[in-house]
Amino acid sequence: MARDTGTHPTPARRAWRLASALVLVSCALSLAAIPTATARRDRTSSTATSTPPAGASSQTVPAQSGAPTESLPRPQARRHRSAESAHPPSTGTGTARHDSGQTQPSSTQAEEGPEALYNTAPAPGLASKARKHGRGHHREGETTRSHEPGKRSKAKSTQPPAESGSAPGSPTVATTAAAGAQASASAPSAPVAAAPATTGPAQATGAPRSAVDARPTHAVRRPARAPRRAVRRRAGSAALAPAAAAPAAATSARTAPAPRPRPAHAGTRRSSARARTSPLVTTITRIVDVVPTPVRLLIAALLALAFALAVRSRVAAVRARRLERQRGELLEDVGLLQAALLPVPPARLGPVGTSAAYSPAAGPGAGGDFYDVFALEDGQLAVIVGDVSGHGRQALPHTALVRFTLRAYLEAGLSPRDAVQTAGAVLERQLGGVFATVVAATYQPRERVLSYACAGHPAPVVLGGGPDAHAVAPVTICTPPPIGVGMRTGTRQTAVSIPGRAQICFYTDGVTEARVGSELFGSRRLLDTLHELGPRASAAALLERVAERADARPDDMAACLLGVEGDDAAPTALVEELELDRDEAASDRTARFLLACGVERADVADVAHAASVAAGRAGTVVLELRLGDGPPRLTLRREHLAYLHARRADVGAAL
Amino acid sequence: MPSRADRSDGSTPVPFAIGRRELDARTSAISIEGELDLATAPQLKWMLLDALEEGHSRLVVDLSQATFMDSTALGVLVGVDRSLESGATLAIVCANASLLKIFELSGMDGVFAIFPTLDDALPGTHGRAAEAS
Repeated sequence: MARDTGTHPTPARRAWRLASALVLVSCALSLAAIPTATARRDRTSSTATSTPPAGASSQTVPAQSGAPTESLPRPQARRHRSAESAHPPSTGTGTARHDSGQTQPSSTQAEEGPEALYNTAPAPGLASKARKHGRGHHREGETTRSHEPGKRSKAKSTQPPAESGSAPGSPTVATTAAAGAQASASAPSAPVAAAPATTGPAQATGAPRSAVDARPTHAVRRPARAPRRAVRRRAGSAALAPAAAAPAAATSARTAPAPRPRPAHAGTRRSSARARTSPLVTTITRIVDVVPTPVRLLIAALLALAFALAVRSRVAAVRARRLERQRGELLEDVGLLQAALLPVPPARLGPVGTSAAYSPAAGPGAGGDFYDVFALEDGQLAVIVGDVSGHGRQALPHTALVRFTLRAYLEAGLSPRDAVQTAGAVLERQLGGVFATVVAATYQPRERVLSYACAGHPAPVVLGGGPDAHAVAPVTICTPPPIGVGMRTGTRQTAVSIPGRAQICFYTDGVTEARVGSELFGSRRLLDTLHELGPRASAAALLERVAERADARPDDMAACLLGVEGDDAAPTALVEELELDRDEAASDRTARFLLACGVERADVADVAHAASVAAGRAGTVVLELRLGDGPPRLTLRREHLAYLHARRADVGAAL
Repeated sequence: MPSRADRSDGSTPVPFAIGRRELDARTSAISIEGELDLATAPQLKWMLLDALEEGHSRLVVDLSQATFMDSTALGVLVGVDRSLESGATLAIVCANASLLKIFELSGMDGVFAIFPTLDDALPGTHGRAAEAS
């Protein structure tokens, strides 16, 4: 059963799998949403510095002119631009030209304007070429510094000289040129500023020229290099050209190769990349965009919690499976141990049908009952049924001890009474306060005689199978005490003749002490139940019937049934034995026992006196009463196990 | 009896009562009403042990009002009887035939000193026992 639950998925396990799958899916979705969220953050930050692509052209100008130092070189942006079009060179040169044109060539324009004009001429042409590629924002923004807005490309492409020519006239450039002149004048190398003023511009203009030279070949194909080289050359020329050129070159170096990053273009590119993604991701991204950050954090925390719980549940499930397996193994072990205590007897032992059953109590009273049914060498059959006073697992070792001790003595050939007596003497110290009620019995199939000895245990029911069947009434007076109470036991034995068909029922007190309403189940109901079940009933059927009729079973129930075949002859008690010491022989108990056995009241005192005298000589005496139709035949004989008591007395004295 | 009526429906246990009286400095009488079984026998055990702790060496268990006792209760009586020091005694007062049968079947009638009345069990404290009861 336990194994089955491990292989077949239970509803709970199916629900667990479904839940774990949901958690995994949600985790995957959250993982997919994280990059999108970061991308969105990048986009928002970039759009914070620039404006949406639609209105970029009008606002890039103040952004660039207002913060020229922000436009530090960004390799990525440069790569993107160079990959896309020839705009960067135009931008770079344009910017270089423009910025440096505002500072450095301003002096050129101021002193040798035509060459400067000539040098600057191709740049607008290139800018117009770039604009033909559809990237004119930057140029527009820059050109507004030297020209009036509107139709700039045409003005540039068609009137390069006019541009340069009008450049000095432009207030902005003039101001910048003046600023550059002032800056060069106020530079630390002011004394030498005047001297290179003539050569500086020439060298400085060399840079644009080389840039121009390179442009036809490089500008379109490798646009990014051009401004850098131009700047390098210009920087080198600035280094060569001291004084006034130095700050200008520094300025151009700082500003020229630093085109503004193109957030607008980047955003366009990303949006195009996003458009290529699946609608599902787009939808999720939109949803994620709407979710505020705290909620997103909360969702992440919940997901983490769910994941942790799932892991924990998984671990618990694994552990539960392991425990279930271990429980199965333990139950198997317990089953083996229980089988050792409660063996399954063969269905028949010789001519006798045998069966045994055990039914533990539901409550704390479970445990303690034991039985054994086995064949002896001489063809006899032996039965042991007992009950240890403890309950539960603590009773297990004691039940095993008592059962196997008794079995050993019976197999050694002792009579039931001798076996119980010897076991009582031997086990007295081993039981440690626990006591055990037992009944040991042997059945001789040839003589059809059942002999049993009780120690604080109910006598077996011997029920005849005839039409007027009745049970043999046992003499219960002088029943010996259980094993382990510190008193001599095994002093009684009863022999029952079973000439015909009969049922022999050994049981523990759990059967008769089961409750029917407010009453005990009792031996009367037990007899009735045996009658109902018939001679071939099994012990299991008996206990089942008792459990059906009883309202409560506070104690274990154990039963052994022997079925003897034969005719209708009724069983009768054959022999009653009682072992007595001198004091016991003179007791009222013994007198009652003699009366119960059928001894005439007038003879009781004589018998008791004779037994007392005999016991006084030998320590104990066995009173044997052979029962029959008339008064019982009485025999007094010496107890042949007397030496056992003597030895025990010696041990006690030695201790 | 109402206790029987209560028990017949199988839900309410028989009322159980246990009490201890100190008859003199070394004598305790423990009277029991109802059933002594697995559930109630421990109370008898602790009460007997308490009396022994307090130095009482003559213990009397009065089962006159008891209706039933099982092997657990017998085990308690046996255990206490065996733990008695020399000089201490445990007497049982019982006139109930069914209880006497239980003692007989279990062989305990030879183990304990069983008396029909409390006065029989305590000959030395005859007067006080009568007063106390």
